[in-house]
Formats: sequence, structure tokens, C-alpha cells
Amino acid sequence: MKPTPPPVGPVSDRPGQSKTGPTVLLRRIIFCLFLATGAFAAEPSRSAYVMRWDGDWKVAGGLPEKLLLVSLQGLANRSAPQLYVVHPRDFQWEITEPLFEFYQRKHGVKFAEIKTAEEALTIFARHAKGYVVWDPAVPASMNVALTIAGLDDALVVTAGQIPQVEKHGLKPIDDLRGRYTGQTDAQIYADAVTRYWARCTHDCIMLMGGHAGAVRQPAVADWGVRQKMFFHDLSGNPARHPEEVALAQKLLSELKPGAIVFGWHSYGKDTEEQWTTLLSGYGLKMEGLHNLPNLSFNCQFGFTPGFKFTNNHHVARDAKLSAEAKVYLSFVQSDSIGIGVWTKPGRGKLPFAWQVTMNWTKFSPAALEYFHESATPNDYFIGGLSGPGYMYPNHIPADRFPLLMKEATGMMTILDEHVMEIMDNSAADGNVGNADLTKETVDRYYAAFPNVLGFINGYGPARTRDLRDTRPMISYDYYIDPRRPRAEVAADLSELIALNATRPYFLLVHVRESNDVNSLVEIVKQLDGPTEVVPLDVFLKLAASKKTYTTRYQDPDDPKHFKGYK
Amino acid sequence: MTRIRRLLIPLLLLLSLAAFAATSPFEGRWHLDRTRSTALDGWHEWDLVIGIAGSRVSLQHDMKWGRTNFSATNTVDTAAPSDAPAFFRVEQRHMALYPAKGGTTAVRAAWLDAGRTLRVEADTPIEISQGHATMRLYYEYRLIEGDNTLVLIELHSTRPQPLVYRFTRVTETSK
Repeated sequence: MKPTPPPVGPVSDRPGQSKTGPTVLLRRIIFCLFLATGAFAAEPSRSAYVMRWDGDWKVAGGLPEKLLLVSLQGLANRSAPQLYVVHPRDFQWEITEPLFEFYQRKHGVKFAEIKTAEEALTIFARHAKGYVVWDPAVPASMNVALTIAGLDDALVVTAGQIPQVEKHGLKPIDDLRGRYTGQTDAQIYADAVTRYWARCTHDCIMLMGGHAGAVRQPAVADWGVRQKMFFHDLSGNPARHPEEVALAQKLLSELKPGAIVFGWHSYGKDTEEQWTTLLSGYGLKMEGLHNLPNLSFNCQFGFTPGFKFTNNHHVARDAKLSAEAKVYLSFVQSDSIGIGVWTKPGRGKLPFAWQVTMNWTKFSPAALEYFHESATPNDYFIGGLSGPGYMYPNHIPADRFPLLMKEATGMMTILDEHVMEIMDNSAADGNVGNADLTKETVDRYYAAFPNVLGFINGYGPARTRDLRDTRPMISYDYYIDPRRPRAEVAADLSELIALNATRPYFLLVHVRESNDVNSLVEIVKQLDGPTEVVPLDVFLKLAASKKTYTTRYQDPDDPKHFKGYK
Repeated sequence: MTRIRRLLIPLLLLLSLAAFAATSPFEGRWHLDRTRSTALDGWHEWDLVIGIAGSRVSLQHDMKWGRTNFSATNTVDTAAPSDAPAFFRVEQRHMALYPAKGGTTAVRAAWLDAGRTLRVEADTPIEISQGHATMRLYYEYRLIEGDNTLVLIELHSTRPQPLVYRFTRVTETSK
């Protein structure tokens, strides 16, 4: 199918735009010449298109068009990175705009902007062989349609969008209207497994959950379509959806060893803790979120020539420090570096450790390079989360643990990271509750990471602590809820300092994604006593020098919010 | 006569206490007004259910966090100090402070201000990252004029500022 020029209206009629732009005819000529040069085919890594999306993800609003476009993006980006999406500033992944600029600046990508879905179809519909119709009244049909989109090169449309795609020469490949009406999600996905699972990749799977109900955000779907993944939002909640859990277990058991579960759990069915516990039990890795955009584009750019990760180390691996009689604080952010604090005001004013999504070395290297490039001397990168992806180590099968951690060690070497962050919320309740590691798990980490400076643990506060040779394991003593008034945060920290009266006291603080560093600077000023904020590597070295904390592991008597699946 | 007075005075005292207990406006369910209180941390809802039986006052805490419901009751005695094996403190749950396993909390309570204020003092053992510590707690439950508002002022020996919680009475119509 040949692309036709986009049906753009008169420039002067479009609000907010130049009134003196080229005429429609001239624009069409320029556009045709642009295509005729073959620039996109010849230099796929140097020319691409960009779309700027709004924040309307309502099922009854902007979702159908975005879903059509995200399936188109996945197909268009199969052979070359051709379509990138910039999201609004208030989108959860705030890096799409900075990364867009990074591609232009460091990779020399020349972007042409696409304004409308119609224009996008004009340019890219040739990458699709047809379309599949989903039914917004049956939410799971969206995921079945996305699976078909990847397998059969289809665009995902609603009934109302059929004329639009047929105008571009696309024919129906499948129509899910009516097929699943009245069925449970367990029944729908069981049918989809029978029909499609064997043809899907078994290297990864798409947990296309997240927002559920009137708003859905399947922004990561381009990646799943490109990679021919099986899409689902099966529940990990054994109390509410045992049939779905059983089907999810079957799928997870049939994935290849070390496979990745992309996406995120459904906010309408279960919890992050339940799903991460579930996949960890199979030695698999979670890579969130459901709305992580542009992976189909990002995965096709490597590091720029000559680039090498150089972390801002403050101490050598074999350095020996001596702690003084004071309170040492260290701040860490772990909610994926692409979210939140990084782009908030004040970064660089305090030493800060950032848990890097290490798997991005494989499918989003440019994003990692962007973070490293824009790091200040106070930004220090650490590995995690728990391994070569997000996992709960208390549930990783013992025979899978060494290989997974070897993979993590390899990525930490590439990223020049000396600290491993661990998180096991399987028994926790969100950011409160039991986030501790069993002694067996701690033993495994010490065996698997002989060369790290140390380990940190938790999300909310935890009480797993240890020191073996020169490697401490310290849990968070405090979690800063971004909604908590700053005066109360200062009082909380002061109270911890008062209660932990022996000096030195090592106070590790987890900073939730949406905090900003400026507010932390003000909090630190309000603390009583001899306090010092130090980089995490210094913090661990000091903690190794004088052990004023207890050794502790998960106690079987400690309360557990969720006991797992066995 | 002296003997009668000796018997009569404690009896009157007991009767007055009983009468107070029977009619105390403290009793009932109180709901935290979050907009007028110190921010809770790790809890979304807090109902306080107060019951009085003689010198014993039960303080039932009905807590909510997401879909999790938790309830714990501290019973204090205004007539004599007591030891509570499982004293419940509405903690800031994002701090690594935990009730010490097997710990016992020494509790003292008294009515003040003609029965308009209940004072509770507790020395509670806490597990901290450095081992164990004792937190001295001081609570005043104050009834506000009109008896539909209860203010709880909480002081910690280790915290530089008070926690102030304001509750409103839960009635049949306010449910």
C-alpha cells in the first residue's frame, strides 16, 4: 500500500499555529518529496516521526485512538525506529520529552511531527496487514486483540474506527465483538491461550493491567506488539480469582527460564505484591509499568560511540572509613529512575542514590545514557531491584537464584554499580508492614555478590540487618511519603534519631518517587543533633566500620500481610 | 456516727464514679477528622471507641489502611497502674519502630478536670534498629464543650512536637 499525503487543513485555520505557513499544496509536495527521498528507509536510525499525545486515556474518550496508534507504533517500529511518542509533563513517565531531545542531540535523529491519527495511518498503515476489532464493553478483549495484533500484524480498532482504517486499505483479520460477551476473564484468557499462546514469544509476556475501569493506559503495548507477546491481565489474587491465578501460573511455568514479565498488575484485581510474589516463584523478572512508553523505539538505539558508564563513586571498593559519633543519613530513590524525583527541583543539592532499572541496558540504553549524562556529582547509581529485574527474593527458587544474580552482577558491571538494592514486599501491605528477608535469602545474597560494597533492603521500613566481612546490609529506617507534611517528616526523623541514641547511628531513608530534593534540603536543616548526609557508598563503608545496629532477619512470628501461594 | 461516715464516704465516692461512668459523654464511637488533625502516616482511617466500666476505660482503635482493617484495644485503669502485654500505639508506620516482642507496657491513667479529661501515661518498649528503647507516651483525651468533639493530644518523650488528633462523635445520623 502506498502512503498518501496526510489530509491536513489550512495552516491558518489551526489554532496556535503560524498563519504564514506553507499552503496545503506546498505541504503535500514537500511531504511527497520527503517520502520519495527514501530517507526513512535508508537511514532508519537518523529519521523518525514523533507524535505528541494528550492525557486522555478514557475508554469512552481518547483510549481507542491511542490503542490504534500504539498498535501501529509496535508494527511500524518492528524493522526500524520510526515512531516516538512524547507524553504530557504530568504523565507518569516524565522522561519522554527529555529523551526526545536526547535522541536528536546525541543520535542525530531528525523528527518530523505527526499531528493526527489519520496522518499516522497515512504514513504507517503499510506496516499492518489488517485490523482486529475489540469490544470496549468486554475489557479483556483489548488484550486479546493486542495479542492478535502482534501475531498477525493487525491494528487494534473499535467498531467505530473500522471506516477509518479501511480507508487506508486495511482488511479485517479478526473481530472479537460478541465472541466473549458474558464470559469471565478466566474464560476469555483460557480461550486466548488455546488460540494464540503457542505462537507467542515465550521469552516474555505482557501483563497488560494497571489502570482498570473507565481509564486504561496501555502505553507499553507497542513493545508487546513488536515482540509478539501474549497480553493479559490475569489476577494474582488467589482469594478473589483462583481460576485466573491458575491460568497465570500455567503461563508463567511455560515461559523460558529467566523470562521477563512486562507491564503491571491490574489495579482492579490484585496487588503489586501478589503479582510480584507470583512471578518470583518461577524465577521470573518484572519490568514495569503498564504505561512505560516507546520501548519499541528505544530498544533500537545502543549507547553512543565511546560512551561508558562511570558512576560517581566516593570511595574505592577496598577503602576503609571510620565512623564518627554522629548520625549518618543517606537518601535513596528506587521507584524506577524514569519516574519522579529525577526531574523534580533540587536534584544535585544532596547526595542521592538512584536505583537503576538495569534491564534497560537491553531494551532502553539511550534512557540510561541520558540519566548518566545528566547526573550531578551527587547522583549515585545502584543496582536492583533485588536482581536483574524486579523480584521478591524470599520466593525465588533456590536453584534459580545463582544464575539470576550472575545476570544482575553482569549488568551492574556494565553500569559501574557497587551496591545492590533488595526489596521483598511479599508479606508487606503496600509501603507498610513486613519487608524483611529470611536468613536463607540473606545468605544467598552474600554468596552471590562478593564484590559489592554492601546491600540495602526494603521499600517501606524494614529490619533486616547484617554485617559480614566489610559488606553491611542495611534496611530503610524511614520511608518518606510524598504527601506527609514536611514538618512531620522532620519530626519523624528526629524521633528516630532520639530513639537510636547510640552514635554513630545509620539512618537510611527511602524517598518515594514524587518527592523533590528541595524539600529534603529543608527537612535536613530541621534535624536535631550531629547529623551528616552522606552518599550511599560512604554510608555503607561507615556502617561497616562500626556496627551499632543489630543483626536481624525475618522472624517467622512477625506479622505477614500476604503469605504467598504455597 | 464516725463508723457510718467511714462507710458512707467511700460508698458515695463509688456511687459518684458509677454515676459518672454510666453517663460519661466520653463513651461511644469517635471518628478522626483528618482535615483538622496531625497527618496520620500509614493509616487512612481511625475510629476510637471508648467504653467505661467502673475505673476501667477501654480505648478501642479501629484502624484502616487501604483494604486492611485492624482493631486493637487498650484498657486502662484510673484506680491503679497496670501492665499491658500488648499495648497498641498508633504508630507512624513509615518509621522503623515496632512493638518489642514480648514487651510489657506500664500504663497509668487518671481523670482530670472534673472528668472532662482522661490522662494516660505509658512507658512502652520499642524495637529499633539499634536494639530496644523505651518510649514514654503521654496522652490527654479532652472533651470539648458540647461533647461532640474529642481532642487527643499525644506527646512522646522522643518527639520534638505533639501529635494532635481531633475526633467527632459518631451518631446514628452521622454514620
